[in-house]
Amino acid sequence: MSIMQMNGGSVIAMVGKDCVAIASDLRLGNQSLGISSKFEKIFPMTDRVYVGLPGLATDVTTLHQQFRYRLNMYTIKEEREIEPETFAHLVSSTLYEKRFGPYFIEPVIAGLQKTPSGDLKPYIAATDLIGCLNFAKDFVVAGTASDKLFGVAEGLWEPDLEPEDLFETIAQTLLNAVDRDAYSGWGAVVYVLTKDKVIKRELKGRMD
Amino acid sequence: MPDGSFSNPQQRQFNPYSDNGGTILAIAGADFTVIAGDTRQSEGYSIQTRYAPKVFRLTDRAVLAVNGFAADGNMFVKKVKQRLEWYRHAHAKDMPLRAIARLIQTMLYAQRFFPYYVYNILGGIEEDGSGAVYSFDPVGSYEREACRAAGAAQSLVQPFLDNQIYFKNQAAAPNQPHPAHLPLSDVLAIVIDSFTSATERHIEVGDGLEIYVVLAKGRSVQGLEGVRSIQELSTKSDGDRVFVIRRDLKKD
Amino acid sequence: MDVSFAITGKGYVIIAADTTAARSIIKMKSDEDKIKVLSPHLLMAYSGEPGDTVQFAEFIERNIRLYHIRNPHPLRPQSAASWIRRSLADSIRSRRPYAVNLLVGGYDPAEHAPHLYWMDYLGTMAEVPFAAHGYGAYFALSLLDRYHDPEANLEEGIATLKKCIDEVAQRLVVAPGKYKVKVVDKDGVREIEL
Repeated sequence: MSIMQMNGGSVIAMVGKDCVAIASDLRLGNQSLGISSKFEKIFPMTDRVYVGLPGLATDVTTLHQQFRYRLNMYTIKEEREIEPETFAHLVSSTLYEKRFGPYFIEPVIAGLQKTPSGDLKPYIAATDLIGCLNFAKDFVVAGTASDKLFGVAEGLWEPDLEPEDLFETIAQTLLNAVDRDAYSGWGAVVYVLTKDKVIKRELKGRMD
Repeated sequence: MPDGSFSNPQQRQFNPYSDNGGTILAIAGADFTVIAGDTRQSEGYSIQTRYAPKVFRLTDRAVLAVNGFAADGNMFVKKVKQRLEWYRHAHAKDMPLRAIARLIQTMLYAQRFFPYYVYNILGGIEEDGSGAVYSFDPVGSYEREACRAAGAAQSLVQPFLDNQIYFKNQAAAPNQPHPAHLPLSDVLAIVIDSFTSATERHIEVGDGLEIYVVLAKGRSVQGLEGVRSIQELSTKSDGDRVFVIRRDLKKD
Repeated sequence: MDVSFAITGKGYVIIAADTTAARSIIKMKSDEDKIKVLSPHLLMAYSGEPGDTVQFAEFIERNIRLYHIRNPHPLRPQSAASWIRRSLADSIRSRRPYAVNLLVGGYDPAEHAPHLYWMDYLGTMAEVPFAAHGYGAYFALSLLDRYHDPEANLEEGIATLKKCIDEVAQRLVVAPGKYKVKVVDKDGVREIEL
């Protein structure tokens, strides 16, 4: 019994053309026993920074609250909203603080970053459970179905996808990966972040 | 004993198995089958060779892919080939595919308590001319399927195949059901994509790719025209035919 | 091993917990109340390591009571559950963690809705329409997947609960004999006899 696989769950984030997507399953389990099919692991931190927290479910809640607290303090002090890259470093240092007694979570960050010229640039990143940042150009995955997600995403993803195509790509990647993972699934949720709006869609998937 | 070794019991163990990485894959079409495998052979982080075939032509209608412990795999293929030769001498014809599948089960189960540490995928053409894939576990449980991946990158490739071959999680357009079998050109593209993807993300997959294509008797070579570095391996041109396509994969 | 169930329905939560207090293979007691009334509209069933359970439940009970004394209103179920979860989450990373699993059910008079939370000793929390702890979960959850109706009235809810108890009695080797059942709705908390 591994702590990282006790509750199950997977998250993936992908870059598109002027947009990003982040998606996760909805299962909460206790080993093989399913407890809830409405356990969300993706949380909006600002209007254009989202974080996915797959791993030990108690730490999903604890870390979400921790990030919310630190973000509020940041927003008050800086009098502005946090940028995705800054938030990724906040995640990283929060996790590394507990280097020798870690939170059992592998966060995935997706957002739209302000460039000096004022445009919004897609940003995705993931860290391991002690906060080692992995900033990728294409996609990042985490959770109990991570190997499956890698395989499908590597096959389906292509550069410069428009929001609707990106949605289709990330949805298909997630759905087909979690269907081969006993610890993930039980429904899914996808967020697509674009310049002017955030689209949230709950997916119907296999419930076994 | 003067050194007191009786009071300190010692244990020694010999592990007769090893994992040599690599991945294999097979997809059945209506009247053809594609069986593929990479050619890297590794142990731990060391590459033993960049060219160790895992896919073997058994007859003009049967191809066997073996993955897992390479020593067992090579021995197993050798024994299967020997049994097929004996069959040829006794019956003056090649063994049918479904019979080879059952033979493999029997040979694997015979070693139930000291198994060949290999996952087998048998592909080829049935007697009715249909493409077929049989997949086995190390002790002989087997099943006929339309597609199967096995080996180090099975977890990367199989869900991709579920999506692209079985159209899992894809709703069919009204009055336009998903095809039961894909054309050869599509299958080849999916196989190549699967291996380049697996090579990208899995350290034990890469170096070279061997794609065997078995065509049913009388089928045209449609889908193989213009394919680079293809070689025919069949012994007769009026029966089922076997081809092999060799490609490079990334070597890092 | 203790068994506890909870189900929500139209405007109520029913919580049931067995009444056995066991030590190894010996039944020490058969009328133990393992459901605490935390506030006028809040119930909590607890199970787990003997000793830890009562100690932790009383700690929660007194702190929720303290909040009610200090403030002109009790904690709402969502807030209470959140605070209880935090207590467990802090405990799991302490020198001597509590091994207590909980079902927290309450009725929120502000939004006229029932709430049920499944929690384990790690601090895992999920809001659910129905929940169970212990070996009973393996029988009750599949049964409730089939029979649970969020719009059921109290009588129908109790009938569904009885199905769970009967199934456990029939199929679980170490099934408990008696249960205590409590309901929370707009009128507050009360115990009911099956």
